[in-house]
Amino acid sequence: MTTVAIAAAGLIASGGEALAQKKGGNYVFANVSAVGTMDPHAAAAVVDLEAIHHVFEGLVEMGEDYGAKPMLASKVDISPDGRTFTFTLRKGVKFHNGKEMTTTDVMASFERYKKVSPNAPALGDVASMEAPDAYTFVIKLNKPNSLFVEVMKTPTYSFSIVPSELKDQPGRELEPIGTGPFQVGEWRKDSHLLLKRFDGYVADESAKGPDGYAGKKTVWLDTLRYNSVPEANTRIAALQSGGADFIATIPGDLAKRLQGRTDVKVMSVIPFCQATFITHAKNPPMSTNRNLRQAIAALIDADEMMSAAGQVWEANPSLMFKPSYYHSDVGQPWYDLHSVDKAKALLKAGNYNGEKVVLETNNNYAYMRDSSQVLVEQMKKAGINVELKMVDWTTNQADLSKGTGGWNMTITGLCSGPLLGPQQWRLSLAFAQNPDDPVVTEGYAKMFATTDAAERKKIWGGIEKYFLEEGYMMKIADIADLRGMNDKYVGIKPYYMQRFWDVWAK
Amino acid sequence: MGDTLAEEGLAPRRRFQILRRLARHRSFRIGFIIVLVLTLAAIFAPLITGLDPTAMRARIRFRPPQGAYWFGTDNFGRDVFTRCLYGARLSLMIGLGVALLSGVTGAAAGIISAQYRRLDAVMMRLMDGLMAFPAIILAIGLAAAMGPNVGSLIVALSVAYIPRTARIVRASALVVRELEFVDAARVSGASSLRIIFRHLLPNCMGPLLVQLTFVFAYAILAEAALSFLGIGPPPPAPSWGNIIAEGRDMAVDSWWIMFFPGLAISLATLGMNLLGDGLRDVLDPRLKVET
Amino acid sequence: MRILRRLALRLGQAIPVILVVAVLTFFLMHLLPGDPASVIAGPEAGAEAVERIRHQLGLDRSIPEQLLLWLWHLAQGDFGTSIILNQSVLQAMGERLPVTVSLTLVSFAMTIPIGIVLGVVAAKFRNTWLDSAVMFTALVGVSVPGFWIAILSVILFSVTLGWLPASGYVPMSEGVWPWLKALLQPGAMLALFQIGFLARMTRSATLDVLDQDYIRTARAKGVSEWSTIAKHAFRNTLIPVVTATGIILSLLMGGSVVIEQVFALPGVGRLIVQAILTRDYPVVQGALLILAFLFVGINLLVDIIYTWVDPRVRYG
Repeated sequence: MTTVAIAAAGLIASGGEALAQKKGGNYVFANVSAVGTMDPHAAAAVVDLEAIHHVFEGLVEMGEDYGAKPMLASKVDISPDGRTFTFTLRKGVKFHNGKEMTTTDVMASFERYKKVSPNAPALGDVASMEAPDAYTFVIKLNKPNSLFVEVMKTPTYSFSIVPSELKDQPGRELEPIGTGPFQVGEWRKDSHLLLKRFDGYVADESAKGPDGYAGKKTVWLDTLRYNSVPEANTRIAALQSGGADFIATIPGDLAKRLQGRTDVKVMSVIPFCQATFITHAKNPPMSTNRNLRQAIAALIDADEMMSAAGQVWEANPSLMFKPSYYHSDVGQPWYDLHSVDKAKALLKAGNYNGEKVVLETNNNYAYMRDSSQVLVEQMKKAGINVELKMVDWTTNQADLSKGTGGWNMTITGLCSGPLLGPQQWRLSLAFAQNPDDPVVTEGYAKMFATTDAAERKKIWGGIEKYFLEEGYMMKIADIADLRGMNDKYVGIKPYYMQRFWDVWAK
Repeated sequence: MGDTLAEEGLAPRRRFQILRRLARHRSFRIGFIIVLVLTLAAIFAPLITGLDPTAMRARIRFRPPQGAYWFGTDNFGRDVFTRCLYGARLSLMIGLGVALLSGVTGAAAGIISAQYRRLDAVMMRLMDGLMAFPAIILAIGLAAAMGPNVGSLIVALSVAYIPRTARIVRASALVVRELEFVDAARVSGASSLRIIFRHLLPNCMGPLLVQLTFVFAYAILAEAALSFLGIGPPPPAPSWGNIIAEGRDMAVDSWWIMFFPGLAISLATLGMNLLGDGLRDVLDPRLKVET
Repeated sequence: MRILRRLALRLGQAIPVILVVAVLTFFLMHLLPGDPASVIAGPEAGAEAVERIRHQLGLDRSIPEQLLLWLWHLAQGDFGTSIILNQSVLQAMGERLPVTVSLTLVSFAMTIPIGIVLGVVAAKFRNTWLDSAVMFTALVGVSVPGFWIAILSVILFSVTLGWLPASGYVPMSEGVWPWLKALLQPGAMLALFQIGFLARMTRSATLDVLDQDYIRTARAKGVSEWSTIAKHAFRNTLIPVVTATGIILSLLMGGSVVIEQVFALPGVGRLIVQAILTRDYPVVQGALLILAFLFVGINLLVDIIYTWVDPRVRYG
């Protein structure tokens, strides 16, 4: 059995900042809504995940570069046939209730996951799970999957380890006891969640410092409070007046209001999500006319779409974000072409006869609404018979995931797929439309069977090229999330979701 | 009874008298002119402005009111003045649609209640139930359920105003029913339908008409509020409400996008209210409650 | 005794009203496309994940079954739990009702005195320039879109001048003055429409009364105009004013929905709108039911005041 050690290196806290760290501080984070659940197995909303990852940990976690890094498991051994994964657990790790974490808890957590998590199908290929001793956990798959460990790192519907006695608690109602550096203090739903430093936290001493959600985490703050402040104006006012130390999601126009002040600053986290149009795989005319799809893709003008919405953005032809290993330029020939002439030529060659195309969008996200409006105008110029169907976000989402609503194309923001890697896309909605498409099924089977990373990247490139060339997905741009903070604390680094360990008061 | 049309019905000479009184009523005159000007502007929009309300020109984004762009341009580079003119079409049409639909349905409900006394209790409880719903929330729910188009919006807003119209028509119809000659007609065997169309309906027209003008005004305001909440007529077709809704995010820096359509709404509603006041003073001076 | 009898009668009539509201709300919500499962699952979840959540929430049961379940729980006083907020509907309402009530009180405090005074003044000086000016102002008040003037006001008083907060609610526990300051602008914007409405109604009611015989008699006897108005006219103007107040209260709900959105006040209006948009069935159904109870209650109160103020009033 070959041992493939997952790299344990992480980011080192810079020497200068490490001086004068002291315990203390009651940090306040004004987020866009209240934490709805602290059950890591059942949580997908970013607002919930922000808090959950301070309280829970899994066998592996996302590193600073978003790849899988060891956390509760010190190493993972993968068998040569890519079907057996042996996790060696760290010893002496304590839960918030004082109990030590062992394989019993790991087994119980995975079994609960299979029962309550909407993402349980991710464990669909698991043939068996074994606990040979207190610190070893073995998962056997019935098909090889070289990306399985990457699947384990997922921050959404996390494979967090919880005490075995909580195994039978229903989904979304788990008592929040984890191994993380913070523990739950007071939780008033729809108002605030108060986390406290867990003084019994057992850090991963083998790492040099914090590494994404993994590594050696040290908490300096006394408390961390998540407030629910849905209105952007109110969040900004809170930051300006000192009512909050950190605020989430500032609209581009309002961010201008904070310019010029020295005591607060705006942090741009990009890429945060990607704006993408999605084609319905089964509704004609787009499902049957390839030239029509490509013609519409050729009309996309990233600058016009993003500027109309006042959105901070970055060009990126790939379905993967730039920091990801799987990012490439395969999509460049079909990216941001903004050419009405090209579209017209494609339409003519494809015998487009004025069949109606329904573009469904929503009123709740400015960049989605405005990008759609721009595209509609361009489509009209190219002579396409297009109808814009404006609904609210909930309906848009439901129609997107179920395929209902009579839409030919719609728009959405994809956030975790582009970040976490190709394994994340397999079960996601974008690909779920084409469950039997051989490009997807065969491509993934090959990718999971290959142990060579470069080969996997090539295979993924083929899949990505297919979706972009065929016009099943049309990438617009990567968009940023603007956040605000004051200058009273040191150590805040941009990351997909904010972390508040290794943060201390000046 | 005094000035009601009860005894003589709508004889032509009587109608002419009413028109003359309206023309002399100051509020009515002013309101009428305002509404007329707005309607003409809406109808002749393409002649007044040569521009396309949905054409996007990225180079002239966010221009303040000056030169060729009387009301400035928006975030897509569209001319706000043109959009306001075309928006008038949609907003006024919605107002008219709601007034007519709720008027016809409400009047029917009210008259049925008044004429068929046994249905009255049920009808009125139903109306009460509808009224217990905050109008805007009912409209949000219905609009979301029926899908995003102007037709469903008109239906959604009408439903909210039907009970109020029904009450007014019912009250009028009840009064008329008690009049001697209607009583006589009933006793002499006139059918229900005859009573309704010959006596009840013509004599409820006054209060009904007054109510309709106020409903028209409310509907324009309600369409704006619904657009603001994100459930109004869908883009890109402009309505006064959705121009404001899209311009809200940029209100601090580009105030003109939001300012002018709001002014237009205020003007239209003002005109309708003045019209309604005039109609009420002339047609039914005893009617003081406008809802 | 009469009051008690009227109360009983009205209560009896109220029950079907509440039932109508309950069932109407239920069907309205379930007519809406989409469901809370897709909201909880998030934008990138596959259809399978959404289905699992639907099952967990009991949304895959038949509609009649869900309706009966809800009514059954209601009968036991259980208004259900918010799907999105994860707290009981009653608690969610309880946290937000004070905000809406505060807003209503502040705007009422402006509406009633200003509206009545304007109306009386206009009636007293009828057909003069003062009358026209006051009535024109009232007219503008009912014609201007509330949220539009609210945003303009915020741009002027909050962003440019910085006198008043642009948004947010300050509970009274943090001080009466901060609480009031935060509610001044939203309250005033809400009051604009109501003042116009009340002024117009008061004017015509006062005019009616001023024309009555007994007023002319008082005038002939030499009693001063103002004391005549104060003593006689006022009591009789009360009825239409109370009517108007009742109507205003029900209009308030609609107005407050928009104002709460503009000023980010966590009140009932906002709760309901958000709940509709996220398909949070228990919240919408429960909240509208509670509002229906309140509406019925207010109507009852108005009725009782009628009976008390003017024993001559008779209903058919």
